[in-house]
Amino acid sequence: MKSHVVRYLIREGCRNTWQNRLMALASVGVLICCLLLTGFSYLVFVNIDHMFQNAYEQNVMAVYLHTDQTDEQVTAIGESLQAMDNVASVTFLSKEDFLAQYGEALADNTMESFQGEENPLPDTYIVALKDLALFQNTLNAIENMSGVEEVSYDANTAQTLTRVRRMVLGVGGAIIVVLLAVSLFIIVNTIKLTVYSRRLEIYIMKSVGATDGFVRFPFVVEGVLLGFTAGGLGYGLIFALYYSLQQNFVFENPLLSLVPFSAEWLPLLVGFLLGGVLVGVCGSVISMSKYLKQEGGIRP
Amino acid sequence: MIEFQNVYKIYESGSHALRDVNLHIDDGEFAFIVGASGAGKSTFLKLIMREELPTSGEVTVNNFRLSRLKRKQVPYFRRTMGIVFQDFRLIDTMTVYENVAFSMRVVGKTKREINRRVHHVLQLLDLQGKSNRYPPSLSGGEQQRVGLARALVNNPSLIIADEPTGNVDPQMSHDIVDMLSRINEKGTTVLMVTHQHELVHQFHHRVITLEGGRIVSDTGRPLHTEQVSLDATADVTAGGVRV
Repeated sequence: MKSHVVRYLIREGCRNTWQNRLMALASVGVLICCLLLTGFSYLVFVNIDHMFQNAYEQNVMAVYLHTDQTDEQVTAIGESLQAMDNVASVTFLSKEDFLAQYGEALADNTMESFQGEENPLPDTYIVALKDLALFQNTLNAIENMSGVEEVSYDANTAQTLTRVRRMVLGVGGAIIVVLLAVSLFIIVNTIKLTVYSRRLEIYIMKSVGATDGFVRFPFVVEGVLLGFTAGGLGYGLIFALYYSLQQNFVFENPLLSLVPFSAEWLPLLVGFLLGGVLVGVCGSVISMSKYLKQEGGIRP
Repeated sequence: MIEFQNVYKIYESGSHALRDVNLHIDDGEFAFIVGASGAGKSTFLKLIMREELPTSGEVTVNNFRLSRLKRKQVPYFRRTMGIVFQDFRLIDTMTVYENVAFSMRVVGKTKREINRRVHHVLQLLDLQGKSNRYPPSLSGGEQQRVGLARALVNNPSLIIADEPTGNVDPQMSHDIVDMLSRINEKGTTVLMVTHQHELVHQFHHRVITLEGGRIVSDTGRPLHTEQVSLDATADVTAGGVRV
């Protein structure tokens, strides 16, 4: 297609959008609602995932060392643990600290007999994992380290969390796909009303020898315009709504804290703009393709 | 050139719209297609415009064998013809100028080419003062002239007029056929469908009559038409502008 034709068709797309501005407004409105629904589903999913991540970090394993380890050996084990791929954090709990923590629950005189060399408790590392799906592998690796006597953990919690997280991932993904499909369906039907009033134009274009691409182009431009506008406005709205949600719901428990918007702004912005444009263009093109294929049946 | 060879058209509903139509219209001819409603006129035109395909037989228009035409080739075939409709089919939201220019934009002409040619054709059809008007503000006759300008602007070798005088008064009807005749004198083939027999009789052109999907009479090309064509002057309208 020649550049002056493309320029003309872009102008036509803009002109058509303006001339059908009421319908364009309706399409943008519907698209914003759909994008907001999808966006919020995404944010709910991200927040649930975030809570799981927090829960994972709470779900730690305690690595008890042999009591005969020198200070250097203890430090070396700590460094090895820290160097492991699946380890998120390593906290050292010396046997003195361990005893102090235990001691709070015991009678004062009981503590005295366990001080110094008499302390039976081991040096311990508290290890938090990054991905609980790799729990078993990491556990085996730690158990095989020299100097490690025993690893204490809650295998059931780890497995349950992993299972639930997988389920949330699947359900969240499915909800987003369904919402996008519903958006496309609604948009197709909204734009169909605009296209219906322009079937005469399509018929005339075809009767004077316009190619399918020529007829389709302004509709694509219109779809891009509608999608971009809806994506931009929708993004602004979701930002405002999420921000006010964050301001109004502050939880004491860090496990329940909302993910900050700044952590998700880029995927949301790209998703809104791309999603809006994609649904807008597909909706626009699908709506008019019926008239494009029709030969002779169009008698306005 | 239009050629029908043993053409049948049966719609899915079972109605036989055309039965064994054989016809040859040469380049540069003017032919009226007449017949009562339901005679098959519309189907006849749809086959020529390649809006429908024959159930059997072969239709050839401007050297395009239509049943062998691929979907992608149809637009290029349609560019060889101009179509005038009974209900004008103008876009109400575009000015007269834009409606006519539209046909040229579709075929990728530049702004300069469009500007020159559209003004020329509007002048030819005595519409130069109306170029910024919108179709609803024009009379039926004026709207049909805009439709004619749109059909003419790409300089097609074939003009198809589907009841172009159906929505205009008798004087304007005569004027429109007169304009088509003058366009034909310049070598453009004109095919006009009408049911106004009295109008047909005012002009000496070939008359093909359809009835029940068959051609029941064909006057053939009148000899003196060719004579008139040879004597034709450059004046197409009172403005005296060449097509």
